[in-house]
Amino acid sequence: MTQKATLVIGGGIAGMQASIDLANMGIKVYLLEKKPSIGGRMAQLDKTFPTNDCSMCILAPKMIECANHENVELITYSELSELTGSSGDFKAKIIKKARFIDEEKCVGCGECIEGCPITVSDEFNAGLGERRAIYKYFPQAVPSTFAIDRRGTAPCKAECPAHISVQGYVALIAQGRFQEALKLIKEENPLPAICGRVCHHPCESVCTRGQVDEPVAIDFIKRFVADLDLNSETRYIPQVKEKKEDKAAIIGAGPAGLSCAYYLAREGYRVTIYEKLPVTGGMLSVGIPEYRLPREIINAEIQIIRDMGVEIKTGVEIGKDITVKELREKKYKAIFLGIGAHECKSLNIEGEDLEGVYPGVDFLREVNLGKEVSLGDRIAVIGGGNVAMDTVRTARRLGVKEPFVLYRRSLEEMPANEEEIEECREEGIPIYPLTNPTRIIGEDGRVKAVECLRMRLGEPDESGRRRPVPIEGSEFIMEVDGVVPAIGQESDWSCLGSECSCTLSGWGTMNVDPVTLQTDDPDIFAGGDAVTGPRTVIEAIEAGKQAADSIDRLIRGVDLKEGRGKVWEPVKDIPTAGYEHIPRTRMPRIEPENRVSNFKEVQLGFSENETVAEARRCISCGVCSECYTCVQACKAEAVDFHQKERETTLNVGAVVLATGFDLYNVAPLIEYGWGRIEDVITAMQFERMICASGPTIGHLQRPSDGREPKRLGFIQCVGSRDIRHMKYCSAVCCMHATKEAILAHEHYPELTSTIFYMDMRAVGKGFQEYVRRAKSEYKVEYIRARPGRVTLNEESQNPVIHYEDTVNRELEAREFDMVILSQALIPTESNISIAEKLGVELDEFGFIAVPEELRNPFGTTKEGIFGCGFCQAPMDVPDSVIRASAAASKVAEVLA
Amino acid sequence: MSIRIGVFICHCGTNIGGTVNVPEVVKYAATLPDVVHTEGNLYTCSEDGLSSIRNQIEEQELNRVVVASCTPRTHEPLFKKNCELAGLNKYLFEFVNLREHCSWVHMTQQDDATDKAKDLVRMGVAKVSLLTPAEDLSTEVLPSSLIIGGGISGLSAALTLANQGYHVELLEKRDRLGGLLRDVNRVFPSNVPTSDLIDPLINTVLKHNNIRVHFQAELIDVKGFIGNFTATIKENDGTGELKIGTIIVAVGANELKPEGMFGYHLFKNVMTQLEFEQQYRGDYSGLKDVVMINCVGARTDDMPYCGRFCCITAMKNAILLKEADPEAEVTILQRDIMAFGKVFEEYYQEAMQVGVRFVRYTVDRLPEINGVGNEANKVRVYHELMGRELELNADAVILTTPLVPAEDNQTLSRMMKIPVGNEGFFMEAHQKLRPVEFPADGIFIAGCARYPTEIVECISQGYAAAAKAAAPMSQGRVVTEALIAKVNPVMCSACGRCVEICPFGAIDWTDVSVSPKHTRRIAAVNQAECKGCGLCAASCLSSAVQLKGFTDEEILAMVSATIL
Repeated sequence: MTQKATLVIGGGIAGMQASIDLANMGIKVYLLEKKPSIGGRMAQLDKTFPTNDCSMCILAPKMIECANHENVELITYSELSELTGSSGDFKAKIIKKARFIDEEKCVGCGECIEGCPITVSDEFNAGLGERRAIYKYFPQAVPSTFAIDRRGTAPCKAECPAHISVQGYVALIAQGRFQEALKLIKEENPLPAICGRVCHHPCESVCTRGQVDEPVAIDFIKRFVADLDLNSETRYIPQVKEKKEDKAAIIGAGPAGLSCAYYLAREGYRVTIYEKLPVTGGMLSVGIPEYRLPREIINAEIQIIRDMGVEIKTGVEIGKDITVKELREKKYKAIFLGIGAHECKSLNIEGEDLEGVYPGVDFLREVNLGKEVSLGDRIAVIGGGNVAMDTVRTARRLGVKEPFVLYRRSLEEMPANEEEIEECREEGIPIYPLTNPTRIIGEDGRVKAVECLRMRLGEPDESGRRRPVPIEGSEFIMEVDGVVPAIGQESDWSCLGSECSCTLSGWGTMNVDPVTLQTDDPDIFAGGDAVTGPRTVIEAIEAGKQAADSIDRLIRGVDLKEGRGKVWEPVKDIPTAGYEHIPRTRMPRIEPENRVSNFKEVQLGFSENETVAEARRCISCGVCSECYTCVQACKAEAVDFHQKERETTLNVGAVVLATGFDLYNVAPLIEYGWGRIEDVITAMQFERMICASGPTIGHLQRPSDGREPKRLGFIQCVGSRDIRHMKYCSAVCCMHATKEAILAHEHYPELTSTIFYMDMRAVGKGFQEYVRRAKSEYKVEYIRARPGRVTLNEESQNPVIHYEDTVNRELEAREFDMVILSQALIPTESNISIAEKLGVELDEFGFIAVPEELRNPFGTTKEGIFGCGFCQAPMDVPDSVIRASAAASKVAEVLA
Repeated sequence: MSIRIGVFICHCGTNIGGTVNVPEVVKYAATLPDVVHTEGNLYTCSEDGLSSIRNQIEEQELNRVVVASCTPRTHEPLFKKNCELAGLNKYLFEFVNLREHCSWVHMTQQDDATDKAKDLVRMGVAKVSLLTPAEDLSTEVLPSSLIIGGGISGLSAALTLANQGYHVELLEKRDRLGGLLRDVNRVFPSNVPTSDLIDPLINTVLKHNNIRVHFQAELIDVKGFIGNFTATIKENDGTGELKIGTIIVAVGANELKPEGMFGYHLFKNVMTQLEFEQQYRGDYSGLKDVVMINCVGARTDDMPYCGRFCCITAMKNAILLKEADPEAEVTILQRDIMAFGKVFEEYYQEAMQVGVRFVRYTVDRLPEINGVGNEANKVRVYHELMGRELELNADAVILTTPLVPAEDNQTLSRMMKIPVGNEGFFMEAHQKLRPVEFPADGIFIAGCARYPTEIVECISQGYAAAAKAAAPMSQGRVVTEALIAKVNPVMCSACGRCVEICPFGAIDWTDVSVSPKHTRRIAAVNQAECKGCGLCAASCLSSAVQLKGFTDEEILAMVSATIL
């Protein structure tokens, strides 16, 4: 059966006209447009020749007619993916790109724009102005729906274990919007001041700026906004939802437990944290030395969690002071185990039980709890992680004369943060890589020396790091007073009683569901080091957050898994060309001599200026930063970040192509200086400039200095009628330039224009009169010449056109304030893929081929597929409109 | 039944609400006469707002609705339709623009803007209570079309309409179809014989069941309006009437005969392009040196327009001459080569490749034709680039002239109230976006009657005009908003101002009986032709003409409300 509907591809003037005519003939039309709005190129024009009608004024009613017509269905921001079938019965698959805006809800008010921190070059304004990442294609857009330019999730956010909207807060900080940035961070991370100091910042490792010069110092700028809040009179306390009666217990006040408490409290649950140690913070407090993470920072961030209603009981040991069974009896609906890994792993070498062997974490805990620990003068710290660095630097600060580090792999493999290693060396502490202790030698039950073996690097192991291989016979002995192993930690599970049925892995970690973190006890969840073994703060935070989600679901009685376990794909192929080299801001530190004898914080933090400058280095990988400011700003609740690309299939009897044109890139015509001489612009750029709704509100301004030009020079056939570029004539440029010269004179009666042309092709109705009026009334001079080049007068900074005068055959040079290049108009690049999908042929230039122009000027090489407008050949608006109506009549004939 | 008005005031996010104190305006609106319901909406156009309007129409028994929000250009149809959904006649709806007319222009004067918003709402309320219900107007459209002219444009239009199932009456002045093309030897750019193109088309038209061709027929008169025209035609010594729904004017144009120019009248071997094609028909023997002069009678002070495709015609004949005899010297004297677009620029390159010589001349030094007796043999031309005069031998001089309007355009113009421009070609409704329509509904234009147009363009315009004609015929009816003018016969003083001023010819004289014996001539509006522009109402000195939805009473009520 013949399908009556028709698919029109391209929502410019031709596509719109074809749609309206078909619809008026009673044929259902699907009008497909790849841009967010219909309107096409004509929407970019200020006026139209030869009547100087305001382009938008005559176009807008057409756009609205399309939108309101009962037989026209607009499918904007969409592209064809496949066409099957044959004339009379096609199936067209359409991919509707995600706008991230609900078209039904968006009312086009534009309140979302205000807060958007991302600006990008505005394509609609031919690159002359900027727009935000959330934008309406142009003010009169139809549909008047906004769209979010969202290339994808930035690598920093995808890589962050907690998936903080890193690009978002960096963008907000770049605008000095610190409080908003902090709120955004605190959506995903309750401990930003802590993380701003100790996070291993995987975000920075994947930062695309690193491909330009160096990664953005993300962690430090986060620290700045977090500190700013902690130092402010009123700190930001996230809003807590209506208080619930349900209770949850959390075991362990480390980052995992605190995070879990924070998110549960936000939901309104009553949360109690039980902590074995006399202090809160877990490893943050007893594992990390104060010179890296001051106690008042930890306490301040924990205080906010307390302010949200979380109760923390310290010095309570589960399994001893209170059991899991008792917690259950006290009507705790769920329990989160975030007990960390505080027990040092043993080296498993001879002599480990000697006096003077002191596990690193134990050492740090004792010191951090204010106890005195005496190690001697010469101390070997074994390991290459942060605990090893912290231990050795703490030892230095406690007066140990010769602390040093032994590490079995090379420096590159050290898992400690780079800056920790750097600071360690600044403090004069030696690190001996490729050195593995094999035996601790004692005398009278006390450590005297350590025997080591030299190593070399072999093949990579399962962690991807190269495996250390011993060098035979390389044993040597180092005299030491103490040995501090810092090679990893494990958990103490004595809290679990027989009432628990949860199980441990072979590594001594808790077995949990990887997504929900639920243990074998349905009401017990676990996360952080207790599940993963010793890892990072941010991973523990994420685990606490995920557990909180699970607990909330459990209590509400909904499915624990639904919609979770998202795989974060970072955006790829981010353009990195054209960025100026700006070095990463260095973190100011206390001088080594002023820090090695005390526990003052080493890193001093960025100033506001440094923070903002650093944030501005971000290259906005995802375009949209996912700061969600628009979500809050939109009162119509139309912003939907979950929107996905959608596919639909349409049954149509015919297809009409109206894909219009693109602007030829004039950069390769280096003789004319575009891109090199600032005041050489393209005709489309000029059009946007002179348009009242354009970036300069209709004022002519030289791009170089903003000065109002007095003399304009137009060069015609730039890329057209040129065998090196496009052989054909672009058909509209003679009149286009004439119109622009007239408009310029109308704006500024003092202004004169000179048009350099080959043939003045004023062939349409009223065109000759238009050119005559341009000469006689608007001070437009026409010179028949093909200029050879445009240079810059260094003194006046004006562009100069060089040409041969065809009347006196002299070489001449004329200086102008601004030069406008009438660039060639070319078939859209998308013709290639569209033609392939449709199975129609293109001509040598990429226009839709018209095989029998005299018999069927609307036909293509495939039956049932028709073409109209500029996609067939260069033509002006009336000709495009005529071709569009004609194609509509042909379609009606075929479908009749 | 008493008037019950509901007023819905939109915040438009902060677009209005950020400047105008909407709650205050809502409160104020409740104090206005007959207003029984008021509310503010974040977005009145959202489904929330629309459903609230529908609910209130039902619950509060509203019989008038005012929405004060944004522009009617985009939103009036939406709100009117919404009223209809709730069972309220859409003509009982009034739109007040608080955004474009108030908040956006007074962003910095919030208090004043709020006062102005109250004024605007008060005006809207004053008007809405006077509105009366109406029904959209609808007229039947006959599924048949009259096409005037059997050239390539008319033939194309006829064929596509007939293929779509409409009946076509094709009127041809001459005794054969094909128009001006009949005289053309070959067609560019493929240079195939014209008959290859046109004969199959003519045969199809002649055999088509849906097409009736009237040869040697003349249009005498057209009466009626879109959907129901009556055309009187004269054919075979008799006259007859045709009932049609739409009309396409495709009367074509003529080649300019350059009397008094370039020795056209002096030498028998000086001829126009069309004359050359008819005279030689492809046998070019004896033509060794040919000079063509372009822009004869075109792009001058007297004849300012460009013939659009004459350059291409000249190139075609030049190429054919060169193909017939590569040794022949063919020179085209030109001012600008109008090889616009893709195909013609390629054709221009082809012409240069086969050796056609192009020499530019300027209007201040026109070429001179010299000859012996009635035979031209030399052309002198100043070569601008070489900076000297050339003397060219000429066995024939071919003058390239543009098309000029057909002789009876003025008659047709008066008959159908369709405008012609300065040059005598018909003038379309809008040069950019309505190129094949006339301002009057149901009458369309195609081909050289509008402006010189080459073949592909003629075919396209024929099809395009057909699409426009097919639209109302496919629907079978035309529906127009009831916002049209009406003449009160008692008040009409028969001054004729409205008849004269109406741009659509929708007002005519009619006789009404004032007593059994006497009739009086008054103006009367033809509903189907009235576009509701209001010129007649504004110009009527007796207040006899009233525009529905904008009556004097309604507008004065708004004015009174402003100054109160």
